[in-house]
Amino acid sequence: MLKDLMLYFHIPFCISKCAYCAFYSSPAWDSKLLERYTDALTAQVAAFDNSEEYKIVSIYFGGGTPTILGAERLCRVLAAVKERFCIDSQAEITLEANPKTVDETGLRALKEEGFNRLSLGAQSFNDSTLRLLNRAHTAADFEECFASARRAGFDNISADLIFALPNENIKMLENSVNKLISLAPEHISVYGLSIEEGTPLYLRKKEYAFPTEEGEEAQYEMLCKLLGEAGYSHYEISNFATVGKEARHNTGYWKRIPYFGFGAGAHSFFNERRFATPASIADYIAKASGGLLAPTDYHSSKPVSAAEAEEERIMLGLRMKEGVKIDESRVPPIIIKQGLGVYQNGVLALTERGFRVSNTLINMILS
Amino acid sequence: MTDISKIRNFSIIAHIDHGKSTLADRLLEYTEAVSKRESVDRMLDSMELERERGITIKARAVNFKYKADDGELYDLNLIDTPGHVDFNYEVSRSLQSCEGALLVVDATQGIQAQTLANAYLAVDNDLEILPVINKMDLPSADIERTKSEIEEVVGIPADDAPAISAKMGTNIKDVLEQIVKAVPAPTGDSNAPLKALIFDSYYDSYKGVVVYIRVKDGTVKVGDTVKMMHTGANFELVEVGTLSAFGFNPKGVLTAGEVGYFTASIKSIADTEVGDTVTLLDRPAEEPLPGFKKVLPMVYSGIYPADGAKYGDLKDALEKLRLNDSAFGFEPETSAALGFGFRCGFLGLLHMEIIQERLEREFNLDLITTAPSVIYKITDKKGEVRYIDNPTNYPSPDEIEEAAEPIVKATVITPTAYVGSIMELCQDRRGTFIDMKYVAGDRAELHYELPLNEIIYDFFDSLKSKTKGYASLDYEPDGYKASKLIKLDFLLNGENVDALSFIVHADKSYARARRIVEKLKDNIPRQLFEVPVQAAIGGKIIARETVRALRKDVLAKCYGGDITRKKKLLEKQKEGKKKMRSLGSVELSKEAFMAVLKMDE
Repeated sequence: MLKDLMLYFHIPFCISKCAYCAFYSSPAWDSKLLERYTDALTAQVAAFDNSEEYKIVSIYFGGGTPTILGAERLCRVLAAVKERFCIDSQAEITLEANPKTVDETGLRALKEEGFNRLSLGAQSFNDSTLRLLNRAHTAADFEECFASARRAGFDNISADLIFALPNENIKMLENSVNKLISLAPEHISVYGLSIEEGTPLYLRKKEYAFPTEEGEEAQYEMLCKLLGEAGYSHYEISNFATVGKEARHNTGYWKRIPYFGFGAGAHSFFNERRFATPASIADYIAKASGGLLAPTDYHSSKPVSAAEAEEERIMLGLRMKEGVKIDESRVPPIIIKQGLGVYQNGVLALTERGFRVSNTLINMILS
Repeated sequence: MTDISKIRNFSIIAHIDHGKSTLADRLLEYTEAVSKRESVDRMLDSMELERERGITIKARAVNFKYKADDGELYDLNLIDTPGHVDFNYEVSRSLQSCEGALLVVDATQGIQAQTLANAYLAVDNDLEILPVINKMDLPSADIERTKSEIEEVVGIPADDAPAISAKMGTNIKDVLEQIVKAVPAPTGDSNAPLKALIFDSYYDSYKGVVVYIRVKDGTVKVGDTVKMMHTGANFELVEVGTLSAFGFNPKGVLTAGEVGYFTASIKSIADTEVGDTVTLLDRPAEEPLPGFKKVLPMVYSGIYPADGAKYGDLKDALEKLRLNDSAFGFEPETSAALGFGFRCGFLGLLHMEIIQERLEREFNLDLITTAPSVIYKITDKKGEVRYIDNPTNYPSPDEIEEAAEPIVKATVITPTAYVGSIMELCQDRRGTFIDMKYVAGDRAELHYELPLNEIIYDFFDSLKSKTKGYASLDYEPDGYKASKLIKLDFLLNGENVDALSFIVHADKSYARARRIVEKLKDNIPRQLFEVPVQAAIGGKIIARETVRALRKDVLAKCYGGDITRKKKLLEKQKEGKKKMRSLGSVELSKEAFMAVLKMDE
């Protein structure tokens, strides 16, 4: 029997760096570098051992902005995967994309090759905010991209939205949420802005007005309400979906389904070990062309212990509305009393208010 | 046997930073008792903490030789004194062991309150005081003015006072010549029954207690059985000698006029109290030297291990510290909020801080300490008198006939520009004005009666900030005075937290309560529920704040299957949680607890 496995491809290139982004990505690239990176990815795929033991249930191309590779190269990588692995017929194959990095022709080609889900970065529908965040598109650009994706045949589209944004009041957020709802994506990811040290936004934060704690709370409650009324289920801490369109890839992470990451800085959970390739494009390409494809940290990583696995199961499982199985004795009564969680049939599930303080709650349960 | 006429015993009196230790180094260096390189770690301050704070906590003595201009070789004993008000009694015993004192005054700053207090002590002990003007090398030095200030304030001639720079080593010889010429040789009869004054002692893990003495009369040698005239303890002497800059010099005998040490495998420092008189068991002196006083703690505070499991370690550490510090006392106490700990008594605030820091540094303990308290004198309805050093034990108002608090006589010396704000401060701290003198033109000496309770609250810090550090303070206990005292309690989430209670004057209670309640609000981390923070007198709430419920966590994104950041964050939070203290249903970090107790305005 084949084991379930998910694949992740990290494409660490961007048109420009978003002001809030603390992830590894490079805005400096040319077609030659993209070509070599693509070659490295396909080489790493081709060199994957025992691929015949696995059934691929999800593939995710994340970044950065994967569409910077261009439809042709993306298709080439996916083709290499199909060559090497057995892919489940129901597999979810997601591509992250940003407006203005891919056109309808490209989208058609990607759909044709097998990509069946798009994740589009909208973040906000207010152009002043998009400029402030150094996003390389306008609200109109997003709408156009969304429309062309639909025309290209994508019937499973996710859009990202950020709240608690600088210089945005609740009305502006409401505008974004309503615009997004009117486009009717199948899935919506919502993040509260966190200002990471070292990002341009962090350095300039004094120049902007941020919502107060109460303001942020009100924004969160408003968007949960609007999305709920529009038929989206808050099935995961930061994700909303229409029925049956819950992201399988992300859900897989929380259910501890093994995944293997390809590319510079990609993370894996494989053979009960967690490891990552070094986050350097040059290093990755050099190693891939030299045939050294095993992630350097793989061999040095220790297997996740049983105790750690149990902690992971709870920590990750509580991200989902369905919750986790847990013995009643381990559930601090205050969680139930304060309406932060619900315990039923041996399963603890957090409420929307509980999601907001999940770290504290997980901590209470684990210590 | 040392020729008594060639002995000179002296101390150095100086305000912090006026150059006492540096001058001591220079004197030793000049006489080659210590090399320049060694003097980098100033000889007399041997504890790390002392060096950092620039103060000397325990008295020490150093013996060195000086060949004077008159061609004679002199035997000099420098007896170091603690420079702080908390150690007044120890200072007086050190001074009792000398015939002279160098009064070191910083030529840029003039006389300070502590210097003056110690100078007065020296005068009281009939010491020959030799003024020394230090820091003459600094551009702002005003030697003439400093001299006239000394004459006016201390009332001793300062015309011949050498102007030196201890730092640069200028005119050090002048000081040595002055010592030889002006400090009288000790008097005493080496054949009389032994009378030696204990001016310090400390516990050494190899030798047992090392006792510093000044032989007033008689002779003491290895093998003698000595008796402590106040404690009554007897010991056979193992080692007798002097202390050089390099360590013990066990020469076997000390005669009248000499300063040195003895050891006798003594286990407990409590047997060798400072101020006691040592005599020979088989040929005792008729009566002890005058001035012996049992030192009693004036300030109390609860000390608890931050981690309850470290109670035993704390106990061991306290016992070890007490080996070297008989003035410090402790006994077990329990707090509903903080668990098992100790009620500790100190000579004063500085003494308290030193002990706490040593516990944390030398014994690597993580501590929680409660607000310092003085000892209140309570007369109950039946006429019985009780002394209360712990607010938890303070009786309820209906049991109290009269409450009294300790009073001190305080001296503040300040540039006249700050007189107004100091008077305001003393007024605000319930002080009673006694008098004020103008000295040396632009400085004033103020005398106040102040409740000790106010001094241990934040008086030092306020004085410092109101006078940019120019004013100095000295005080001595002056009995009890009836006062309107009340106990303030604090409630978190409706539950009384005993460790936060303190006694305060009724007129101050509201402001103090407000301040603490606000601090609690600012320092208590958000809980999953709203926490009311209240201050109460008896059952009556007089102030309230609310800590709002936690609504949002710091999040770690789990992008691309990277859950390492999240795991790290959780790990960090778990560590933090281990250090949390539960005060009733509220969790509080040690830092938050201490921040609440920190007495800044």
